[in-house]
Amino acid sequence: MATRTYETLVVETRGHVGWLIFDRPTKSNAMDATMLNELEAAWNQLDADPQVRVIINTGNGTAFQTGLDVAQLSREPEALREQSRRTKRAELRLTAWHNRVWKPVIAAVNGVCAGGGLHFVADADIVICSTAATFLDPHVSIGQVTAYEAIGLVRKSPMEPITRMALLGRHERISAERAFELGICSEVVEPEQLLDAAQALADKIARNSPAAMAATKRALWGALEDGLTAASKSGAMQMIAMWGHPDQLEGPAAFAERREPQWRGVG
Amino acid sequence: MTEYQTLIVERRGAVGWLINNRPEALNAMNNAMRDEFALAWKELDDDPDVRVIVHTGNGRAFQTGADVSELASDGIGMERYRESVENFDMHFTSWHQKVWKPVICAVNGICAGGAFHFVADADIVIAASDAQFMDPHVSVGQVVAVEAVALLRKMPVEAVMRMALVGRYERMSAQRAYQLGMVSQIVDPPENLRDAAQELAEKIAKNSPAAMAATKRALWGALEMGLTDACKAGAMELVSMWGHPDQLEGPASFAEKRDPVWVAPLGATEGASS
Repeated sequence: MATRTYETLVVETRGHVGWLIFDRPTKSNAMDATMLNELEAAWNQLDADPQVRVIINTGNGTAFQTGLDVAQLSREPEALREQSRRTKRAELRLTAWHNRVWKPVIAAVNGVCAGGGLHFVADADIVICSTAATFLDPHVSIGQVTAYEAIGLVRKSPMEPITRMALLGRHERISAERAFELGICSEVVEPEQLLDAAQALADKIARNSPAAMAATKRALWGALEDGLTAASKSGAMQMIAMWGHPDQLEGPAAFAERREPQWRGVG
Repeated sequence: MTEYQTLIVERRGAVGWLINNRPEALNAMNNAMRDEFALAWKELDDDPDVRVIVHTGNGRAFQTGADVSELASDGIGMERYRESVENFDMHFTSWHQKVWKPVICAVNGICAGGAFHFVADADIVIAASDAQFMDPHVSVGQVVAVEAVALLRKMPVEAVMRMALVGRYERMSAQRAYQLGMVSQIVDPPENLRDAAQELAEKIAKNSPAAMAATKRALWGALEMGLTDACKAGAMELVSMWGHPDQLEGPASFAEKRDPVWVAPLGATEGASS
């Protein structure tokens, strides 16, 4: 596979785990036009790589991700015109969900996650945090509307904390501990342990059937689109779609023989 | 009354108990149990003396999903269920069986995989302090779908996704389930679980059966649609109780400082009033 080089991201693999790392630490990993384009390429590269079974998304430096690079927006609005068009049409390609990545995605939030950075928390399957992580949404403090990120989040966590965050803007932050209490994240670790914790979690997930996980993701994310009965029906179809798949013989056989299963690729 | 091989169905006052009873198989659901669930929910729903239903398990597990050893050995496997799954024509939970009496799930131990159907489809969930939750489906090449589809409407989604994707390599404690609002009460020591469930059920049994049934329809119905539509449908349930005798009896008994005498619940079959 041709590996492309990235200016604003680090994309690498460790075993079965693909890492997508925001890498503009001097700008708190804010997304400029280059990063917006590179994100689409990076998700698709990791999704297409058959070695990669799980993807971890984190940031270099003290911030996780702080949304759109407002400095660039005011300096060269032209550079972000294409993204404005995509925003209007709900055609963003920033996150795994936008790019229809059906491999499991872990967000490992290493520091501040602000505004558009919340896209990556809302759209991850699993979220773990460093104790240094904080969450805030400053949109309304600069006259911007909060929409997509919070729409995703209010379906995934208790709503009041999300509307509070959206309306308090830059004047308040949610701590990692509170995010854990609310079920926005499932694990909080010391900052220096975050990457190891993420890799350890990803290594567990990588032991599961890739095809079954992809179908599970389609069923569960799809469920956020529909009413309960309709979602249950389409979930049931995802379930049946795996019947007869070789992984369904391999799984119990490996379990009985006390060995690691040899899964098929997702294809 | 039906004789059950895999379940125990009994009454304690106004409370109907449905107890998974294959402890040697960790209460895994074989084909017989699947059929018996359909009958047991209906039996309790149709009994006008039953106002609340408690569902729990015998032994160290609450329930552990489908009986994998039967699936692996009977030569039919999951194919037996293809038609019912394709048509989403399932009958083993209270939601499947349209039970509009309150259902309490009392998780007494391990709750794994398909057991989440019963947690997801119950109205109220309590757990013994040593209960553990896990979803091993993807670790054996199976998809997590229907049980988690319901569960993620009822609690923070990330926790459901994590259980679904980590599979058998991690378990959630009763304490974390409580924090996340997946269960509303932890009973410690664990052996007090059934007493706590009965006590909770007896409180619920003091409420108007008709009002609770309409409330259940309104709230479960709300999971089917958007907010405004759900409010409109809920309003119809609300209005449907206006003029019901319980709406006079409730305030009257309160004023007279006595227990209300409610109209007995109507089961799925008509004319069950006493």
